[in-house]
Amino acid sequence: MLLMILVLLLARPALAVDFPPVRPGAALTFPRDHGAHPAYRTEWWYLTGMVEGPDGRTLGVQLTFFRSRTGLQEDNPSAFAPAQLLFAHAAIADAATGRLLAEQRSARAGVGLAQVSQADLDVTLGGWFLRRSGQVLLARAQAQAFSLDLQLVPAAPLLAQGRAGFSRKGPVLTQASWYYSWPQLTVRGTLQRAGRSVAVEGRAWLDHEWSSALLDPRAVGWDWLGVNLVDGGALMLFQIRSGDGSRLWAGGAWRDAGGSTRVFQPGEVEFTVRRRWRSPRTRLEYPVALRVRVPGLVLELQPLMDDQELDARASTGTIYWEGLVRALRQGQAGGWGYLELTGYGGRLNL
Amino acid sequence: MLARPAPLLVVEGLTRVYGGPSGRPVLTGVDLTLGSGDYLAIMGESGAGKSTLLNLVAGLERPDSGTVLLAGQSLGGLSDAALAGLRCREIGFVFQAFHLLPYLNVSQNVGLPLLLGGVPRRAARGAVDAILEAVGLAGRAEAMPRELSGGELQRVAVARALVHRPRLVLADEPTGNLDARAGAQVLELLARCIREQGGCGLLVTHSRHAAATADRILVLADGRLTETVGGAC
Amino acid sequence: MLGLWWRGLASLRARSLLSVAAIALGVALGFGVQLLHGVAVEEMSLAVVRLSGDADLSVTGPRMGLPEGLYGRLAALPEVAAASPVLQGEVRLQGHPGHFPLLGLDAFQAQAVQPRLVGRPRERLDLLRGDRVFITPALAAELGEHTEGTLRLQQGLAYRELRVAGEIAGAAPGERLLVVDIAAAQQLFHRFGYLSAVHLRLAPGVSAPEFARRLQAELPPGVEVGSPAAAGQRQAALSRAYRVNLQVLALVSLFTGGLLVFSTQALSVLARRPQLALLRVLGLPAKRLLVLVLAEGAGLGVLGSALGLLAGWLLAAALLWRFGAGLGNASLSGTGSLPWPEPWSALVFLLLGTAAAAAGSLAPALEAARMEPGRALKAGDEQRMLAPLQHPLPGLAALAVAVLLLTLPPLGGLPIFAYAAIALLLLGSIVLLPRALAATLAFLPGHGGVPERLSLAQLRAAPGPAGIGLAALVASVALAVSMAVMVDSFRDSLAEWLEVVLPADLYLRLGEGADGSFLDSLAQRRLAGLPGVARVEFLRTTQILLDHTHPPVTLLARDFPSDRPQAHLPLVSGFTPPGPGEQALFISEYVADVFALRVGDRVKLPLPLAGLPFRVAGVWRDYARQGGALVLDRAVYARLAGDTDATEARLWGRPGVSAALLAAQVRECLGSLPSQGELVEPGELRSFSLRLFDRTFAVTYALEAAAILIGLAGLSGSLAAQVLARRREFALLRHLGLRRGQVLRMLTSGTALVTGFGLALGCLLGLLVSLILVHVVNRQSFHWSMDLHVPWAGLALFLAVLLGSALATAAWAGRQALGREVLRSVRED
Repeated sequence: MLLMILVLLLARPALAVDFPPVRPGAALTFPRDHGAHPAYRTEWWYLTGMVEGPDGRTLGVQLTFFRSRTGLQEDNPSAFAPAQLLFAHAAIADAATGRLLAEQRSARAGVGLAQVSQADLDVTLGGWFLRRSGQVLLARAQAQAFSLDLQLVPAAPLLAQGRAGFSRKGPVLTQASWYYSWPQLTVRGTLQRAGRSVAVEGRAWLDHEWSSALLDPRAVGWDWLGVNLVDGGALMLFQIRSGDGSRLWAGGAWRDAGGSTRVFQPGEVEFTVRRRWRSPRTRLEYPVALRVRVPGLVLELQPLMDDQELDARASTGTIYWEGLVRALRQGQAGGWGYLELTGYGGRLNL
Repeated sequence: MLARPAPLLVVEGLTRVYGGPSGRPVLTGVDLTLGSGDYLAIMGESGAGKSTLLNLVAGLERPDSGTVLLAGQSLGGLSDAALAGLRCREIGFVFQAFHLLPYLNVSQNVGLPLLLGGVPRRAARGAVDAILEAVGLAGRAEAMPRELSGGELQRVAVARALVHRPRLVLADEPTGNLDARAGAQVLELLARCIREQGGCGLLVTHSRHAAATADRILVLADGRLTETVGGAC
Repeated sequence: MLGLWWRGLASLRARSLLSVAAIALGVALGFGVQLLHGVAVEEMSLAVVRLSGDADLSVTGPRMGLPEGLYGRLAALPEVAAASPVLQGEVRLQGHPGHFPLLGLDAFQAQAVQPRLVGRPRERLDLLRGDRVFITPALAAELGEHTEGTLRLQQGLAYRELRVAGEIAGAAPGERLLVVDIAAAQQLFHRFGYLSAVHLRLAPGVSAPEFARRLQAELPPGVEVGSPAAAGQRQAALSRAYRVNLQVLALVSLFTGGLLVFSTQALSVLARRPQLALLRVLGLPAKRLLVLVLAEGAGLGVLGSALGLLAGWLLAAALLWRFGAGLGNASLSGTGSLPWPEPWSALVFLLLGTAAAAAGSLAPALEAARMEPGRALKAGDEQRMLAPLQHPLPGLAALAVAVLLLTLPPLGGLPIFAYAAIALLLLGSIVLLPRALAATLAFLPGHGGVPERLSLAQLRAAPGPAGIGLAALVASVALAVSMAVMVDSFRDSLAEWLEVVLPADLYLRLGEGADGSFLDSLAQRRLAGLPGVARVEFLRTTQILLDHTHPPVTLLARDFPSDRPQAHLPLVSGFTPPGPGEQALFISEYVADVFALRVGDRVKLPLPLAGLPFRVAGVWRDYARQGGALVLDRAVYARLAGDTDATEARLWGRPGVSAALLAAQVRECLGSLPSQGELVEPGELRSFSLRLFDRTFAVTYALEAAAILIGLAGLSGSLAAQVLARRREFALLRHLGLRRGQVLRMLTSGTALVTGFGLALGCLLGLLVSLILVHVVNRQSFHWSMDLHVPWAGLALFLAVLLGSALATAAWAGRQALGREVLRSVRED
């Protein structure tokens, strides 16, 4: 899920801008920390979910907003000064379609169509938005091929990742982010495709993460997973891979049905490839079926469909796999989650 | 012989060559003498030099050699201006194509030589009236040339040639554009007026009928004038 | 039979050539101007269309711009699929003379609407950097810049260095454009909060015209929505009056050409009358004779037009290469190459030229067909032929209609009726010319020597041919005189106007077209505090839309005492102070005419902030801004527009401080006064303005000179022909004892009489036409008044030269006619 940001970070030469580092010890406060943190280099709000229509078909939905502080023209009083950029990405996964429907938006923040609040969750980009309204979250995206309009009601409390929201992303202490998740959101809304709109409901997951220095220079990609477990629990796991295939860092957290949360050290997280899929378009190979193991929990992950590859080389120059997966726990339906597999196209060369 | 007055026109050894010294001689040593009342006809083929002879006599061209004496005055020594003055006092012209100025009426056309000669207007008026009476056009004094017939036009031309009582009248094919009756009328008029006014006349024509109205007929051939016998035809 | 025809025609070759030349000139001018304007207008509208890319609609503001908040509102509309904001302007570059168009783009948005204009950087983020610029290949070639170089753009009083980050690969060939990030453009032009336009791509299924109508109703005043092409047309409308005037000038030369054909044909038919009569006698039907003579004229027309098309294309190519498509008009400019002409436009000019020539030979053809062959064979019949031409009724009718037309208002903003009145005035006068000449001759006393009396008699009896020969001369002299009077009046009025509008000792001008140049408040305070400065006034120039149907007008915010504006503005109306609670607004004559405003009217200005209402307090004369201008107090403007920058400073020195010393102080104070910032004394400015004026009219002068030359050549030709036709008459007069000198005197006195009459009439007509040009045509096309000023000395010299050359021609032709062979001609028949 982070690849687009990765692109921006890697692409950027050294800038004479002071980005605040992420340091442990501070506490997250809400609703302030739902809003944007423009001083940090990068930030995202990441909504993924599984929904079902009246026909009982399972669909994946995704709506993501990214914010990036470019360090450009910060002294220009123009409202158009591109100091902050916003990107948005929306996708629908439908096994009947066989591949993803996806669309992106990007704009400089500040003028008219792209705004982000620093007080609460409220990010808008050209008619797409994600905002908190009372106890409900509202998400809307109107793309050319589809549109989604969702209300999300939290069924569980926030899950602060890492140490009270301080989430390490690498062996160096400063390679970290502020990161919290909002799993088990109850979804109601409508999806529209080809002029046909259907009422849907399901479960979603919101990630909010911000940072100034995230990745180790040796990193080429990462794998990330967020699963809403059927028992009401939630699991988030990630690993960061280096160019030689070895793991640079890993982490995660599991909140069980009883509400107690366990945070994992790198050595406690294990990803095992069960099946690879080769994209007929790009000839790239992704480990679309995995087994993940953490102390106390083993999940077999099976994709909703194999082809959930996103080829954005024409616009942002990135290519990755991101899709809905079914989690099996001891052979039983264990939950639905989103899996992101990046950096399988070789080292990003921009 | 002794009683005979000095001749009005004496032409001696007149030679004219066209196209430089080695060119074609048109006239070679032409001699001619006309006295008061003399009326001479000159005949010749086209291109024989008749018109050249008239131009030389009128001072409109200058000869290569020879002299022209008009009323005792040699044309050779006169300037262009003096020649023009001489023409306007002493010479009258009649042309085949009448040559009236289209923008002047009959009496103005006839009076032109008087105007040019500086004759006072009143005297000129009298002379014009008289000559128009003489040529039988008294009633048409105000007419414009385009309103007249060919015979009338030539009679106007005759009147113009005679109105200032010139000593020499030069007529170049005056009947060429007229029918026989009108031609005869004009010729008769011309001969009568020349005799009456006491000048002399030179008629160039290739009509024997016309030539017959003159006193004498000369033939111009090979650049020379030769006398024919009695004008028989 | 046709052999006889051609031989008869061949003898008239020389004069026919002149007719061909006249037609060619007219066609060349018309076609050339048409081509150039095609290029200029095309470039202008193409530039607008190109800059708006694939937009379905463009929302454009006045020059000052539309408030940027509008962009968000537009982008959020459900009908809008994508909205691309742009800020557009012109910049100066250090080391490169002139202005360069610059576009500020938001690359994210432009990608969806105008992807062609988005630069191709080596590094993606360069699209967003404030110190990067993208240039089109054509501009790169022009500047000699490769994509690694840097450019120094003027910003305020300083320069800002931008690195060339790449080319705009999608630019059209020859397109000159700099593209920067839109925020950088706002900073560069100091126009924070404003955009020039927002280009929209509509959602599928939205009807652009219908949506535009709905949207327009919701837009603030001064902001307009339309298709990109319409915006281009609005730009082109600015130069329409100038273009039409040039076209009319071309038509005038065609008209003169037609008259010349008329002269040539009438005289040639006259000279060939016996031949034509013979043809009739030999059995040629009258109708075929008519067609033959008409075809002769048309043939001359086709030949002339064909030559003219070629010459016009070459002319346009040469002018384009030398001056650009603006033809000396600063508001038009272009550097494109000349395209091959459209076949239809070439055809139109071919037909115009041919029609002019055919029309010119219509009257002679009718005459030839109507003659009685029997009578025509006889000499002396010429006068009869010309008699019908002397009927006064058509001429008088034309004059009467001309007077009526003058009372009509402009048609579509153009003085079409006034031009028609001028054409009718000339035509009527020319039709009446032989009659007027005859009347004048009858009136003259018959004094003088024999030659003079003879020539008078000749002219009195036969004024026709002389009158015909004069037609083209009268027309061209009238037009030349009128043009000279108009231009002189204009120039004189301009010079006086410059005196009034340039009262200060020194001018610092920055914003003349380049948007990056301005004096901010700090620079203004520093200038005012200079030791040598007794007084300083600042001026802010911007543009503002008064309504949706007209191009924007210039707004001049000036520091000036609003209680005594007469001393500072060339008011043509009185000054009516506005009532309490109202602001004074001074409008130029253009604004008064086009927006139908009068002193005392209330005006609503689309300024960002509402304030006290404006009332028209006076109308002033403005030659500087063709599109109209408003003047208001700068303090009021600053309050309502939130804009305190100035684009010009007018400085008065303390006693004893020379302009040079003042200039030195200003330079020192501003330190970084850019070399291209203009610091000028009024004298320089005046002479510069007049030079600009002269350059603008240089083309006009050149065209006029050519028309005069042709007219004069036509007169000479017809004079010579008439003289040669009178050979036998001269021969007779020589026989009768008139001296050569006397014949020549007769000729020259006649020529002097006729030409003098023609020149006098032409001059009189010219003065009348100049009145129409000054008071009707200029007022209606450019909406400015001027004081009539007649350059008598110049006119006298001009007329003397014309008369002299006519006399010289007559004398020369007379000498030819009186050669040796003249005497023989009495025997020709």
